[in-house]
Amino acid sequence: MKKKLRKFFLIFFIFIQFESIAEEKNYHKELITDWSRIFPDQNRNAAGPKFFKYIIDKKITYKDFIEFNKLYCAVSGSLIDPNSEPDFLYAYEIKTNEKICGDYYKCCIPCSCDIMKYSEVEKMKYEFLDGLKEFYVFTIKNPCNKEDFPDRVNKSYFCDGERINIDQVYSLNGRIVIGLLHKGRSCKKEEIDFVKSHRVTGRFCELRNNTPLENLEKGMGDIFIKLAR
Amino acid sequence: MKFINKIIILTILTIPSIVNASFFEDITFKIVDNPKRLSYGVSVTDMDKNGKYEFIVTGFGYPNLALSYDNGKLINIANQKVFTDNLRKTIGVAACDVDKDGYEEIYFLNTDTYSGKKKYSDRLIDLEENKFLDLFEIEKNNKDLNLTAGRSVVCVDRKGNGEYGLYVSNYGGPTRFYEIEDGKIRDKASNLSLDNVTGGRAVVSGHILTDRSDIFAANERGANYLFKNNDGTFEDLAFDYRVDDVIQNGRGTALSDILYRGRLDIISGNWQGYHRAYVLEENTFKDIGNRKFDKPSRIRTIISADFDNDGYDEVFMNNLAEPNKLFRIKENGNFEEIILEEGLEHDGYGTGAAVADIDDDGILELLVSRGESKEQTLTLYKAKVDKQSEYLRIKPINKFGAPARGATVTLLTNQRMHSKTIDAGSGYLCQMEPVAHFGIRKNEKNFKVEVKWTNSTTKLIEIKSLNQTVTVKQE
Repeated sequence: MKKKLRKFFLIFFIFIQFESIAEEKNYHKELITDWSRIFPDQNRNAAGPKFFKYIIDKKITYKDFIEFNKLYCAVSGSLIDPNSEPDFLYAYEIKTNEKICGDYYKCCIPCSCDIMKYSEVEKMKYEFLDGLKEFYVFTIKNPCNKEDFPDRVNKSYFCDGERINIDQVYSLNGRIVIGLLHKGRSCKKEEIDFVKSHRVTGRFCELRNNTPLENLEKGMGDIFIKLAR
Repeated sequence: MKFINKIIILTILTIPSIVNASFFEDITFKIVDNPKRLSYGVSVTDMDKNGKYEFIVTGFGYPNLALSYDNGKLINIANQKVFTDNLRKTIGVAACDVDKDGYEEIYFLNTDTYSGKKKYSDRLIDLEENKFLDLFEIEKNNKDLNLTAGRSVVCVDRKGNGEYGLYVSNYGGPTRFYEIEDGKIRDKASNLSLDNVTGGRAVVSGHILTDRSDIFAANERGANYLFKNNDGTFEDLAFDYRVDDVIQNGRGTALSDILYRGRLDIISGNWQGYHRAYVLEENTFKDIGNRKFDKPSRIRTIISADFDNDGYDEVFMNNLAEPNKLFRIKENGNFEEIILEEGLEHDGYGTGAAVADIDDDGILELLVSRGESKEQTLTLYKAKVDKQSEYLRIKPINKFGAPARGATVTLLTNQRMHSKTIDAGSGYLCQMEPVAHFGIRKNEKNFKVEVKWTNSTTKLIEIKSLNQTVTVKQE
């Protein structure tokens, strides 16, 4: 009995000490603190790629990279609440034209539709503090020679003349990386069925993706579409 | 068995919130005639020139009050219309000696609209021959009336010569900076590059970056400002020092020596956002608030003060329609939450709060004003203090004989270098007593105090005995 008590208090004491010392990193707070560094002109329209570049340039672990990438919307450039749930969806892999499934953290539901329709995913490798990792990223083609580049997007964030501005955004195989597809993998048939029958990624997105651009009023998606189409 | 006892003791020591369960005592009963009303900012000044401080409590469509301590009770002594002023809806208040007569004038910031143009201007109240007058009502001072909605006010001795100006944090219109020039009150914000348009919320002034009065303004819907004082003119360095916090909505702010290292850092609350504990490291402020401290809340006023005279400052967070919080700042900037029983005010619509040792017993009283969208009474608290505790209060007086608001007082002992500002305006809409109040730590000795005046000169004094208020006069 005495031994058991001794063991219990020892574990309890160590737990309390550990709790008070090991404070988990607050990724959301860090992005809020650095927001004016990421967007010096305070224009974050469609600027998911700025977040991605800012995050990957940090000297961080793969876990940090994953957590940071849950906190912004790759389509709109908005910050996302820390406890938000992702949408499960797919996008086409540019190299194989295969459907790649995974989680996408969005600010609002139209963004899930837009990222499915207007972006393509690519596999990317990167050396983090804890080693080389491979993951899927959403990409869009180089928009810099567009005549109808959207007014509300800061072009200098993306472009250096007609080239991608690699000081500001991350470029992969001549395309701009706009965000991370979490837990990306080749889709199974039942996963594709799930996405297609889901009330957002299925029904709502079908409606949205068949609506002419001039009639789109929801979210920041129309700005992103103009950038990415 | 001895081992288990040791572990139990150690465990109890590790959970300090348990032993701090009843930190405050509710002494609201001391307020005579305490009806429900919409109260906002609170200041502490000697409004009737009798050498004792009063709590000045603003009223939004209710009278402004001056609560004086007399015979164990807080009694309202304000009765002149220009002071009480039900009509103008006062929310912000700060007092300082604008006209260099040795007594503090009181700036009442009135706001009858949320943002932009307002109907009634602010008041600057002076007392002459027992009669209050509004200096803005004198014709020569009519030129630059503030007709923009605002929130907080802070006193700034920008030139370090005892000529206080008033930084008025406006909302939806340019910031104002009033000073007396050639005998007239003038808005000098434009000349000083302070006339920015923002959603002004809270503002503090003191030795933040330089040895002169700098200004930190916490704003909403825009970046905060950190104005460095360059010989009386200002330069905004909030971005460079990483305190701009652009996408959060600033509220209660206070200067505090978070690391007990003899300098003032910044505590700034954000409305439903992360609260900040900014400490200067090299050329940038680092936020060291822990998860419990920075947890978003409906924050209004923030006060940093040693309520329980243990030699460590507490941070009182006054939340609106949400329980208040209290933290003790331990060594190395560790914010330790004190679980409140009294003072929680779950349903309190806290709008402002201020501290003063109003009954002159060496323990601070905390007056909380409430209102906003629900009429409520004022509340008054005092920490339950160890009977053995000791204190030291330092009251710097400037060369005109007025409280040296914006000066910094540093207590030097064998255990710490602990700085406190002589409050020029802080919290949210508020201003604390112009006294540096230090509780004394266990086994502390070799007491000295350094006063850094607003002109950057310093005065060092030896402290021979504790439990007193030492008045230090600027030469």
